[in-house]
Amino acid sequence: MRLRSRGRLVAITAAIALMSTACAGQGQGGGDAGAANGPVTLKFWNGFTGPDRAAVEGIVKKYNASQNKVRIDMEIMPWDVFFEKLLPSLGSGTGPDIAAMDTAQIPQYAARNVFQPLDDAYGPQGVDPNALVRSAVDATTFKGKKYGVPMNFTTLKLYWNKDMFREAGLDPEKPPADWDEFGSYAKKLTKDDDGDGKPEQYGLAIADHATIAMWPILFWQNGGGVVSEDGRTATLDDPATIEAARHWADLITKDKIAPVGLGGADADKLFQSKKAAMEIVGPWMTTGFKQAGIDFGIAMPPAGPKAQVTLGTSVAFTLSARAVGAKKQAAENFFAYWNSKESQTYWSVNSGFPPNRTDLTADALKGNPYSALFGQDADKSRFYLAGVQEFQKVNETIFEPALQRVLNGKGDVEQVFGQADKDIQTVLDNAQ
Amino acid sequence: MTTSVTTAAKPVARRTRAGSARRRQARAAWLFMLPTLVVLGVFVVWPMLQALYLSFTDYQVFAPARWIGLGNYQKLLSDPAFGNALVNTLYYAAVTTPVSVALALGLALMLNRPMPLRGFVRTAVFVPVVISLAIVAIAWSFLLDPDIGLLSYWLSKVGIVSGQGWLRDPSLAMPAVMLVGIWKNVGFYMVMYLAGLQSIPTALYEAARVDGAGAWPQFRRITWPLLANQTMLIVILAAISTLQAFDQIFVMTHGGPFFRTETLVMMTYRVGFKEFQFGYAAAVSWALVLLIFVLSMLQTAYFRKRAVTY
Repeated sequence: MRLRSRGRLVAITAAIALMSTACAGQGQGGGDAGAANGPVTLKFWNGFTGPDRAAVEGIVKKYNASQNKVRIDMEIMPWDVFFEKLLPSLGSGTGPDIAAMDTAQIPQYAARNVFQPLDDAYGPQGVDPNALVRSAVDATTFKGKKYGVPMNFTTLKLYWNKDMFREAGLDPEKPPADWDEFGSYAKKLTKDDDGDGKPEQYGLAIADHATIAMWPILFWQNGGGVVSEDGRTATLDDPATIEAARHWADLITKDKIAPVGLGGADADKLFQSKKAAMEIVGPWMTTGFKQAGIDFGIAMPPAGPKAQVTLGTSVAFTLSARAVGAKKQAAENFFAYWNSKESQTYWSVNSGFPPNRTDLTADALKGNPYSALFGQDADKSRFYLAGVQEFQKVNETIFEPALQRVLNGKGDVEQVFGQADKDIQTVLDNAQ
Repeated sequence: MTTSVTTAAKPVARRTRAGSARRRQARAAWLFMLPTLVVLGVFVVWPMLQALYLSFTDYQVFAPARWIGLGNYQKLLSDPAFGNALVNTLYYAAVTTPVSVALALGLALMLNRPMPLRGFVRTAVFVPVVISLAIVAIAWSFLLDPDIGLLSYWLSKVGIVSGQGWLRDPSLAMPAVMLVGIWKNVGFYMVMYLAGLQSIPTALYEAARVDGAGAWPQFRRITWPLLANQTMLIVILAAISTLQAFDQIFVMTHGGPFFRTETLVMMTYRVGFKEFQFGYAAAVSWALVLLIFVLSMLQTAYFRKRAVTY
């Protein structure tokens, strides 16, 4: 009897304990810590887990120390975790006030009214749009309104391994200037010494999925693209796109200048482990490549038959639709601080990214030789899928699998891209 | 007289006492189960019902959910992505389940008899069970990497060169994630079989030997039939877990190359968390629930006839 009642007691206690812990989760993180006279606290999420993390933390720390009205409470997580958590958390009211993300991702959230327009954050008192890189500001636009403020901006550049150039008998100071040189250099830099059909060294590392856009640069250089510049028409079956795809797919599948099936991180790793001689990528890799002891050069990607163009890419701050009143003011104050001359100098020198501002002198940036390099040719850069509402569907569900099919020889370019073009057009039309 | 009264009264008293004891016991049993039931209710049953409701709506977060009846389920039938994921799921389950079970049985038989390093081998086979699949999948990705992978290097030494790498090759990616799935679970099923083997009375084998039965007849006539209970449990568990394949696929291939390894759970994830069509994703996951339910019922019906009791 005593045993039994003790058993019951244990069971009840356990049940109560479990129920109370199950409920405890609900009360936390409401995000409305609006104590009347304390500082306004803003939850800020981003995915800067790389070498640039320290620079982000540095500016936030300085901002928090510079005044006592606003406190930025920052959480840094890997981008995939960030995007998994973001929408559900915003839906349940536990999400961040400020979320930083690639401008291409903004429309799919803006279309769902998750974020609020930030047009009034710009102006002489706040963020001066005329002092910033024009294309980065424009890239935050969705249906005529700006939903973001630039956090960073950069172009992609061609990295080449000078030692490998020397070894292949190429001038290590002279990167390829056009497609002909690009292709023939890549062939020369590809080595399969043991003749097993799998090169030990590749001329090029180019990613076909889970990556910053690399292939679209090649399409643009030939006058094609995945979608038109206004984001309304699919252009994957344009002759210019198909020609570019076929040209590079042939070099990859027949001449094996690059492995098939690389993700963005795989491509970086390949260059970093000295198994690839060239890669088109952003300034975030300079630290890793330097640590690997690579003697590399950085230049504008080779000109294509129609244009010399590269990718411009920007991460922008967005503001949750729930952050109103004092929170909105506080956030705009932080955005202006981030884009001030002082912060942008700090950012560039410490991250290797070019500044968001166009009015910083080379002298101010001399602390980091890469910053200025990646800021060059901003006028020759283009944003990928800018303003397209369903970025995810167009890029990951349709375009990347189509590209992988072509590279794996599962169908002809014309047929595979033709179908993908139709699918993308349907997605674009549905979003109108 | 007194004795007759007591004897007559006794059974009645015992019955009522037994009845209230049983009630008390039942109450205690429910109390013991309560914590689990609460957890299951809050974290399993309730979300499942929520998902069922969502599957009849076009819910996309933020915009209020609109009831669209069977719209999502109709869309499933004509969606090539669903067909692809269904085929991939069944392919994965059809290979992984029998291979895991057969391998587990083989290992259990081998490790049930004395052999050198038995403890070590048992542990080695079981270790993957206690490690997180998502984490070992990262290790496997490195092992299989065509450029820096140890396994790729060893294979190349014996003349097997994977030019593109297992995970990037559309025809090898699925076998690779199957391999990891089997490797991860086989130890668990092996332990269940080991327990089963040890519950078989040794007298049966002694009698069989006296009658001159060799190893195969002993296995065929004694071991295999008497392991029927374990086999039922293992096959059902294995089938359910393989139909839910996700972790290592998410880590190693993310469903690629071009959806060649996208299972139903991967598709649910993509459609829901990447494309924000939560209503449609809920419909995909309920299609999987129905698939697992039907298959489990069929398996139970099949094995029930073969259950053994000592």
